[in-house]
Amino acid sequence: MRPTLSLLKSGRSAWKGPFFVAFPNLKDALQNNVPIHTRARSCTILPNFVGIRFMVYNGKEYLPVIVTQDMVGHKLGEFSHTKKRFIYKQTKNK
Amino acid sequence: MHILGINLPDSHLTRFALTNFYGVGHKTAHRICARLQIHDRCKVKNLTPFQVTALSSFLSSPGTVPPIPRLPLASKSFVAPPPNTPVQPLLAKIEADQAARKPKSKAMEALSSLKIESELRREIRENIGHQRMIGSYVGKRHAMHLPVRGQNTQTNAKTARRLNKLERH
Repeated sequence: MRPTLSLLKSGRSAWKGPFFVAFPNLKDALQNNVPIHTRARSCTILPNFVGIRFMVYNGKEYLPVIVTQDMVGHKLGEFSHTKKRFIYKQTKNK
Repeated sequence: MHILGINLPDSHLTRFALTNFYGVGHKTAHRICARLQIHDRCKVKNLTPFQVTALSSFLSSPGTVPPIPRLPLASKSFVAPPPNTPVQPLLAKIEADQAARKPKSKAMEALSSLKIESELRREIRENIGHQRMIGSYVGKRHAMHLPVRGQNTQTNAKTARRLNKLERH
């Protein structure tokens, strides 16, 4: 039996490693503080993502996510909420 | 009988009474009994004072309890030392073997990392607090008293409404 990734606490096999998407502009984003627009919500946050600003798609728009040290091991999509609470707006002219 | 402030009913079997501890289920209770050599049909009132102290010392700090001394039987090829051998070096050798022995089985490791009662509650609280602090979906759902793992909320979700909160315990 292969060991599981205790660090990431996922059910994924250790030999596969964490799932992530290679961002070509990672270095540029870190130096110039340019946000990375992405739709890869299932990408695991790796230690070298810390400090980078992401704009993560929630199905409608790109929401800002600033990666901190505590977020390592979570997915990008966890921080870009897809649902909004319903708020009733009263129409004035009726 | 009370152990660490938890009531263990006298008429219950020990391995079921142990599940009164928060964080001890049937499997863990069985393991603890095996570790402390309490037999399967032993009721709480039949526990010896030694077993009671062993139980309470084990449950108060599962991580620091030394492993059970294991004294294996002699193998077939064992040749006894001559009768006039001094005892001290032999005892020293046995003690050295005991010290070198590391807990190998998974069950032992599971028990040494056992967390019960307030320690476990604190861990759960910290985990929820971590999720909330980093602003993840899980933390948000806890704060809203709603199910975390995608269950329906149109009806039901009663358990989540009751349990899911930031200060869970």
